Amino acid sequence: MHPQASEADVLEMVPPEAEQAELFEMESEATSIRFEASRLKAYEVSQSEGLALRLVAEGRLGFAAVSDVSAKGRLVQNAVESARYGEAVPIRFPSPQPAQAVRVCDERLADLPSARLVEMGRQAVQSLQEAEPEGQVDVHLERRVRRTSVVNSAGTAVVRRSTVLSISVEMQRVRQDDVLMIGDYYSTAMWDEQYPAMLARLAQKVRLARELASLPSGRMPVLFAPAGAVVLLLPLSQGLNGKNVYRGTSPIGNRVGEQLLDAKFTLLDDPTLDGRPGSAAYDDEGVARRRRALIEQGVLKGFIYDLKTAALAGTEPTGNGERSLFAPPAPEFSNLVVAPGEAPLADILAGVDEGLLVEDALGLGQGNAISGAFSHPLSLAFKIEHGEIVGRVKDVSIAGNVYDELKHIAALSREREWVYGGMYLPYVLLPELNVVSKSG
Amino acid sequence: MYDLMASALRTSKADYTEIRIEERESSRAVFRGPLLETADLSIDRGGIVRCLVRGGGWGVATFNSLDDLPLRVQQAYEGARAIEGDSIELATVPISVDEVPARLERDFRGVALSDKVALAKGYNEVMRSYDPSIVDTQAVYADSFSRVYFMNSEGTRLMEERPMCTVSLSATARKDGLVQQAFEAVSRAAGYEVALGHEELAGTVARRAVALLSARPVKGGRYAIVCNPKLAGVFCHEAFGHLSEADFVYSNPQAQEMMVLGRRFGRDILNIADDGSVPGLRGSHRYDDEGTPTGKHYLIREGILVGRLHSRETAAKMGEAPTGNARAVSYRYPPIVRMTNTYIEGGQTPVADLFHEVELGIYACDFYGGQTALENFSFTSAYAYMIRNGELAEMVRDVSLAGNLFRTLENTDAIGDDFRWIEAGACGKGGQGGLPVSLGAPHIRIQDVVVGGE
Repeated sequence: MHPQASEADVLEMVPPEAEQAELFEMESEATSIRFEASRLKAYEVSQSEGLALRLVAEGRLGFAAVSDVSAKGRLVQNAVESARYGEAVPIRFPSPQPAQAVRVCDERLADLPSARLVEMGRQAVQSLQEAEPEGQVDVHLERRVRRTSVVNSAGTAVVRRSTVLSISVEMQRVRQDDVLMIGDYYSTAMWDEQYPAMLARLAQKVRLARELASLPSGRMPVLFAPAGAVVLLLPLSQGLNGKNVYRGTSPIGNRVGEQLLDAKFTLLDDPTLDGRPGSAAYDDEGVARRRRALIEQGVLKGFIYDLKTAALAGTEPTGNGERSLFAPPAPEFSNLVVAPGEAPLADILAGVDEGLLVEDALGLGQGNAISGAFSHPLSLAFKIEHGEIVGRVKDVSIAGNVYDELKHIAALSREREWVYGGMYLPYVLLPELNVVSKSG
Repeated sequence: MYDLMASALRTSKADYTEIRIEERESSRAVFRGPLLETADLSIDRGGIVRCLVRGGGWGVATFNSLDDLPLRVQQAYEGARAIEGDSIELATVPISVDEVPARLERDFRGVALSDKVALAKGYNEVMRSYDPSIVDTQAVYADSFSRVYFMNSEGTRLMEERPMCTVSLSATARKDGLVQQAFEAVSRAAGYEVALGHEELAGTVARRAVALLSARPVKGGRYAIVCNPKLAGVFCHEAFGHLSEADFVYSNPQAQEMMVLGRRFGRDILNIADDGSVPGLRGSHRYDDEGTPTGKHYLIREGILVGRLHSRETAAKMGEAPTGNARAVSYRYPPIVRMTNTYIEGGQTPVADLFHEVELGIYACDFYGGQTALENFSFTSAYAYMIRNGELAEMVRDVSLAGNLFRTLENTDAIGDDFRWIEAGACGKGGQGGLPVSLGAPHIRIQDVVVGGE
């Protein structure tokens, strides 16, 4: 594919005092369908397009964006004005570079009729209602087709077309003062016949949640399901973001090469996986992406950077520059992947005499996560007794600091699941964690 | 623009169709710590078509490209037909044909970006140079100028210009393991003059962040509380205002029971209103995003619940009059019931008297965070002082107020005579965050509030 004529036009309009220029173009079409309280309540089609221009003039970086693609003259004028007073950054827009191909576009998704989306939504509602007839089910499906291109004055011209289907399902059941909320999110860049597996898993959780159990407070083994393990990954991901390292707010910014965590723990940023919405051959700045270990067998290997942050920090960009239209790029993870362990989940579970299984927490992303600290009430958790899941526990919260807690991992499961779209995680068993329970 | 919209409207097969198109130019300068994070300019233009079909529901299409508006109308119509709805009616509102241009004292579109960068930099330096314990700052200048076109199939045709100019300042101070933050913002639907002359405010932010490092956590217990206007205003918006939004009341049986018009909510001294027609405030427009004129609507009058906030749909459902409170954060969203400028009216008590009658209490200021669940709320104030024997005493931190809305309004026993607007506020609801609102209140006193703490 070749960049469209409009892009070449814009770069030609850039005045000669700009040493470097980069044009980002985006267009997308999405169809979104929402079931609320088990009925189809909203149906929306959206079309977006726009252009963003970055310039470097006399070493200063400028940025401007328009969603009115006919306003190219104003775009150039605005970018020039922005660069005149912009920050002095030793940034270099990349020259063409080879990259590993990855499949993120599927015409079967692009051509999926809206009626089929409605049918899939209805199927999700039904499967949850069979598991829990009193439940109110909300389902949101979205199908998006997106095209982006990056063209710069160093000769890079990268075009990407991608498709994404996402389904989020939530069920709420209120019984006197017991509020049960269970949900899951699934997304894919390629049509996947296996998607109903997500519904079966969710229905299984609903069944498990019927029994209530009580748990004492104290330190005990805690098993994080993949969705629950996000509690541990979020603070870690903030510490690994080059932006926080450069700002000096990452607590691990100067510890590359050190044994930071348990040797069982390996964490990758992996943009090379076919069919994942987080994958791509190039980032939104035209830098080739690659699979990188951030933490390998517990040893800190490195951080993620976009062009600007890398330039400021005096290091190499890692292909993690991502952007929306109206904001300059920033470092973002592609897919965060934790290497699996060796034990099957069943064996791990069997080894827990009394403990907690964490499925979902409240307040993710709030609080002082950058320090590594986490403290969350749990919205879905189960008691494990003599190796069995015996019932749902309520009014339980967990707290700790990931940099301490992940120094000792009892086990990681062989099985992994995709959660929140961009994380591929095993079950994580911590030998001991602080649990506060109001019921016990 | 009207011709483009009108000819697309004519193609619609729906029972009701509306098109809203928004053109927005904005600029901002953001300093974080010592660095200019960005100084940029944006032009955003896009629109939304909403169609309503009897027996169906609302179908929505949003877009940037104006090339094929009839296609967008067709998409919205198909969506409307797919929905399994209860029959939706719209309350009647007058058909309006009007243009509302903005009148700015000093148009920020004529100010060079360099001046805006220099202004934000100046405020940032005031904070950074205040004290070595200031470890992080953020100084933001932002403006936007929107022109909103609205047309519907009933014949309403409107154009309204909506300017906004904002300065927001925050500082983080650290001593050993303790981190404290302070924040202030000024924002009005007005010109560049809004952004000028806030050096003293920047100093206040830095001073407060540093002072909080030496403040002790408050001792938990039950106290008489004097809330400053900002905290009182946020309380009014969060704990009460959202319950007055008719879409919430309508869809929630518990809320219907709770929010019966005529019910007593507070003492005779308590008056609460929402007014989207006050010139220059963040929540103000002549017309809402369904083309309904805005105005002043009492929610509580002399302690009694007398009204609530409506869109055309909720007004029809509940058999009440539309209030002009259907608002959308941008062309990407359909309008939903929102507050505009919500406030507690000024009372009779001189502010000094609010304090004089308190033996042991807390002067709680500004808002840091919090949550509400029906009539229960918990708020954390940004900073606070003890009141001892009627006098302001030492600063304290971590003051969180928890309680029940009804008991709290009942216990509001004095309302100050120093009403003022709080010219900053952003509200989130239903996935639409950052909607500009204003808050207003005088100082108020509340007896017997549960305060968390050590």
